[in-house]
Amino acid sequence: MASLKEMLPAPKAAASTFYDHSSDPWFKERYGGESAQSAAAAKPAGPAKTVPPYGKRGGFVPRRPEDFGDGGAFPEIHVAQYPLGMGRRDDKGGSKILALTVDAQGSVAFDAVVKQGENASKIIYSKHSDLVPKIATADSEATEDEEYQKQIEETTERTKSALEKVVNVRLSAAQPKNVPTHDSESKFIKYKPSQQSAAFNSGAKERIIRMSEMAVDPLEPPKFKHKRVPRGSGSPPVPVMHSPPRPVTVKDQQDWKIPPCISNWKNPKGYTIPLDKRLAADGRGLQEVQINDNFAKLSEALYVAEQKAREAVQMRSKVQRELMLKEKERKEQELRALAQKARMERTGVPPAPAGVPSGGGRGAADDRDEDMDLEQPREQRRETREEREARIERDRIREERRRERERERRLEARDAAMGKKSKLTRDRDRDVSEKIALGMASTGGAKGGEVMYDQRLFNQDKGMDSGFATDDQYNIYSKGLFTAQPTLSTLYRPKKDGDSDVYGDADEQLEKVMKTDRFKPDKGFSGASERPGKRERPVEFDKQEENDPFGLDQFLTEVKKGKKAVEKIGGGGTMKASGGSSMRDDYEGGGSGRSRINFERGR
Amino acid sequence: MKLTIVFSGTQQIKDPDNKGGSTAIIPAPHMLPKAPDSTIPGKNTTLSIPGSSDRFSTSAMMERIPSRWPRPVWHAPWKNYRVISGHLGWVRSIAFEPGNEWFCTGSADRTIKIWDLASGTLKLTLTGHIEQIRGLAVSQRHTYLFSAGDDKQVKCWDLEQNKVIRSYHGHLSGVYCLALHPTIDILLTGGRDSVCRVWDIRTKAHVAALTGHDNTVCSVFARPTDPQVVTGSHDSTIKFWDLVAGRTMCTLTHHKKSVRAMALHPKEKSFASASADNIKKFSLPKGEFLHNMLSQQKTIINAMAVNEDGVLATAGDNGSMWFWDWKSGHNFQQDQTIVQPGSLESEACIYALSYDVSGSRLVTCEADKTIKMWKEDLTATPESHPVNFKPPKDIRRY
Repeated sequence: MASLKEMLPAPKAAASTFYDHSSDPWFKERYGGESAQSAAAAKPAGPAKTVPPYGKRGGFVPRRPEDFGDGGAFPEIHVAQYPLGMGRRDDKGGSKILALTVDAQGSVAFDAVVKQGENASKIIYSKHSDLVPKIATADSEATEDEEYQKQIEETTERTKSALEKVVNVRLSAAQPKNVPTHDSESKFIKYKPSQQSAAFNSGAKERIIRMSEMAVDPLEPPKFKHKRVPRGSGSPPVPVMHSPPRPVTVKDQQDWKIPPCISNWKNPKGYTIPLDKRLAADGRGLQEVQINDNFAKLSEALYVAEQKAREAVQMRSKVQRELMLKEKERKEQELRALAQKARMERTGVPPAPAGVPSGGGRGAADDRDEDMDLEQPREQRRETREEREARIERDRIREERRRERERERRLEARDAAMGKKSKLTRDRDRDVSEKIALGMASTGGAKGGEVMYDQRLFNQDKGMDSGFATDDQYNIYSKGLFTAQPTLSTLYRPKKDGDSDVYGDADEQLEKVMKTDRFKPDKGFSGASERPGKRERPVEFDKQEENDPFGLDQFLTEVKKGKKAVEKIGGGGTMKASGGSSMRDDYEGGGSGRSRINFERGR
Repeated sequence: MKLTIVFSGTQQIKDPDNKGGSTAIIPAPHMLPKAPDSTIPGKNTTLSIPGSSDRFSTSAMMERIPSRWPRPVWHAPWKNYRVISGHLGWVRSIAFEPGNEWFCTGSADRTIKIWDLASGTLKLTLTGHIEQIRGLAVSQRHTYLFSAGDDKQVKCWDLEQNKVIRSYHGHLSGVYCLALHPTIDILLTGGRDSVCRVWDIRTKAHVAALTGHDNTVCSVFARPTDPQVVTGSHDSTIKFWDLVAGRTMCTLTHHKKSVRAMALHPKEKSFASASADNIKKFSLPKGEFLHNMLSQQKTIINAMAVNEDGVLATAGDNGSMWFWDWKSGHNFQQDQTIVQPGSLESEACIYALSYDVSGSRLVTCEADKTIKMWKEDLTATPESHPVNFKPPKDIRRY
């Protein structure tokens, strides 16, 4: 048989299609080491090269990588093993354990915790000695001046240059020409990979990559959501070089207590707050209310004035009463005198001697007795008996009547004082609501026999009609409450042909009414001087005869008043009589000038 | 400059590079806890110092410790000699010009007013800010005035034209403090965004943002050498910054409350920082804590300034102004500002203060809208105003 190889056509790719491991560096290490080892001197520890078989590893402790041979760690050997150096944690992983260090004096450096990490480059004060007060003595800046100046300059230069760089970067970034422009053309990059063999890249030594800008859809919304990331913790904490804050004393706490704000205007949650809390912040208790003394003075003065006024009024009234009494007496005397005179004239006989004068209170209709002791005592004696009897009779009657009236008044007063009222008095004093309650004020329902309905039952859908009234139109009630007015019954109601015989029938009566003379428009008063013509103005005044021949008064008043055109403005109206000064239109020329209306005494 | 810290007992750290540094620091007396007294003499012998360096002998320091505290230098008391009112709001910031002719003040009424130093009259008012002006600085090398306000604006005013020529944009919140670097044309601003920003003056570029503080940066000053920037913040820490790297070099956590004011001594290599609990002195460049001031002002300290004679003035939120001797930390004068008539008593509050270039006049900016000028009372003598100083036996360090 021919081999398969001959039968098949020749391969196109000449080189081998699988990876030649022989050139791999790793394999070279492992297997090439054997050859190297065989070339080099054999290691002194013979048994170290070969791993003891299982069961025979009694005192075997693999420490070096070659102790492991080809394999890994030995689980039965309870020692930390690192085959191929794997798993050893020397400086990797960031151990969180700080080594305990001791400084030159042998004291433990406890502030290593604080001075690690970022704080290692900073000045950290963590010792008690940093709290201790010290004095800086003998500052010798004079000697250090040149040094110091040099230091200053050097620092300045360094800082300036550093800051300049920063500034330049910022400035150039802001300038338009430095803004990176987008090249729409693609770039070509030649790339030579590190692993070159026939297996990769089809044997090509380099690749050419075309880099071009991907077209961005301008209307595309953002693809990524930017989440807020919390700030990383700042610099590591620094030891606090002061004692913790003192606890607040009770007094301080009380001093700083601020009461909750209770507004006088707003209460959005609608809390019900007691009144004393509402006024708590008012500052009422802080100010003392000072009342002026004059208030007391005023009230006292008023009191005193009232007293005085009362006294004055009393005195005045007393005086007046006395005067009145005297007047009355005088009048009575006069009347008596008149009556006596009249009687004298009547009888022609000197009057009887005076009797007891009756007390006031009798009407003028009663005959009065004169107490004229003065005239004709002889004539009095003759008439004494008759007259005296008549007088006594009259007196007795008077006395009786007086007593009766007094008695009536006393009884009334006693009743009123006791609270007993007569029917009339009671009904007069009653309120309307009481009258309704008693049923005295009838609203017309009982009389008519109709039941009263509440008007709200009717016309429930008043609707549009009801609103079209003016504001002051009182249209709640359609008719009055009391249909039956007492006046209605007491007012005159014309009767139907009541007494036509006595008074004549309707026509006659009508004629009489029509022809009555009572209501004449311009009828003057009886006894008043008749005017020749109609009344021209509502009130007319008589012309007064003045005792002013030269017209001085008039002249003076004219001058005083002055004839101004303004004054004539209101003169055209009909109401001429002005209360104080009245000036007539046609009388301006020779007005009397008097400023008061003179009334004549009628006879 | 090499510093050595010598302790009275427990440890001694030798500075390896010490080539005879002449600056030494003496520990204060009796600062140790009382217990290990017995060990101290034992340790003493081991601390004998080689004669090459200039450090103090421990035996001397152990024996008579209270007297080791330096006695305060006598300073004349300061008195208020002028009150300038012209601002319509709180006066928040002040800066002097290098020629000592005028000074400018920034106020809550959004204006910067320039006043003549000798007469106190108003020379110029600059408007442009829209909020309170919290920081002012006049450049030593150019005719520029820099201002920063609550409106996040940092402006550069040209004093020849009296107008804004540059604006530095980048702060996210109000800017509370402003400082100029003495040698480089760099502006440093710190504000409520807890970041101190570094600006290049000429190009207006934002060079670096020094982040690291947790709260508002309320005080900043710059030095010619490292640490070039020192910031104090409301998170009660003081940070030293490496300007080149833009990183913190050192953080001082000695204060308990916010560090609202810091003052760099013009000659010595130390600075003081003030907070509501204490005023502390630190040395530079390492930032070692030196000591507290010997009294506590017990108020929020808004401003601090020190002059070449070593008089440190601190101004509080309640209107109190205390004067201290720098070296010893002794408080030799306590003053209270009197509000101008028409102001409330609660408006006694000092927001800023500064010495003039010579250090002989002190100008304070207050909440009652006035500017008060102080000078030393020349009629006072050490006999009329004696220093009653008791060296501290037990110095509080917390």
